[in-house]
Amino acid sequence: MDDLTVRRGPLHWWAAGLLLGLVQVLAVGLKKPLGVSTQFVVADAKMVSAVAPDYAETHPLISKEKYQKFGYGWWLDVGLVIGAFSATIVIRRWKLQATTVWWRQNHGASILTRLIAGFCGGFLILLGARFAHGCTSGQFASGWAQLSLSVIPFTVTLFGFGMLTAYLVCPKTPVVDK
Amino acid sequence: MATVIVGLVIGALFGAALVLAALADPDKIIGTLRLKDFHAMRTIAVFVLVGMLGTWILGLVGLANLSIKPTTLVTVLIGGSLLGIGFGLTGFCPGTGLACAASGRIDALVTVIGMFAGALAYIFIHPSVAAPLEKIADYGKVTLPQMTNTPAAAWVIPLFAVGTLVLVLTKPKRG
Repeated sequence: MDDLTVRRGPLHWWAAGLLLGLVQVLAVGLKKPLGVSTQFVVADAKMVSAVAPDYAETHPLISKEKYQKFGYGWWLDVGLVIGAFSATIVIRRWKLQATTVWWRQNHGASILTRLIAGFCGGFLILLGARFAHGCTSGQFASGWAQLSLSVIPFTVTLFGFGMLTAYLVCPKTPVVDK
Repeated sequence: MATVIVGLVIGALFGAALVLAALADPDKIIGTLRLKDFHAMRTIAVFVLVGMLGTWILGLVGLANLSIKPTTLVTVLIGGSLLGIGFGLTGFCPGTGLACAASGRIDALVTVIGMFAGALAYIFIHPSVAAPLEKIADYGKVTLPQMTNTPAAAWVIPLFAVGTLVLVLTKPKRG
């Protein structure tokens, strides 16, 4: 297989979805639905508290207890990193890489453009996730699990703007190994 | 201590599942957003349907620990749009970004650094921008069944049935 082919996933789609769904059910049964993005604010809140304690104490958001302690959500994110690392080692897919097949197909071999886009994208991702009270895990997946009203406007904007942006940024399609 | 262990175990299972499901693969995500590679879309659909059915069943026996997000319509629309742009640009979201950074992706690591910057920006603009916007069209922590005064079963059973039927009818040749 050449470098410009998108690899198959390790699992069939139904097995992959079932596994993720069961993790969600386990989370709901044991503690709280899945969520990832809040902890980025927790980490930054700790930093802000260390640098500017007066500002942090009177801040309407980060002075809340939720953003001042390392709770369930924090350890979930730590576990996520450990689990993802272990899984890629076990299935032999751990690999140092800095760009993607789609990016190379559309923007050439330059890693710099990919990294700049990555930083800007990451900025928008977390800024957006906090505006929306959750990301693809806490708002989208857990929103559907609980049938929250907010999941409807969130799903429409997330996938609407996601598809539009992907279309504008990556118009050329590489070979996909299905 | 129990909180730490439960968090670590669920997180580890979630991280491993994101990798095995290939959602922690930006090429699969962009392929799905471009409607050229439906593996991730089908996986996400099953994830959502199973999570919905299981959460509903747990609720029936009184074992569901829910956490409904408030529907502050303006900020949810702004947030979904910004997140969508970042998602379509990078192929990452917060969970898969962390998972990909852990699996050797430098671009994911840089994206995660961008996420910390985005979270910091949110902290700074929350009091003056986000908080006032949250007060416009705030429907509170409400679910679709509550909003429409219908039983949850009237949503979960049809959604699960139709979703499963569509997935089966559009099944690709390779599994």
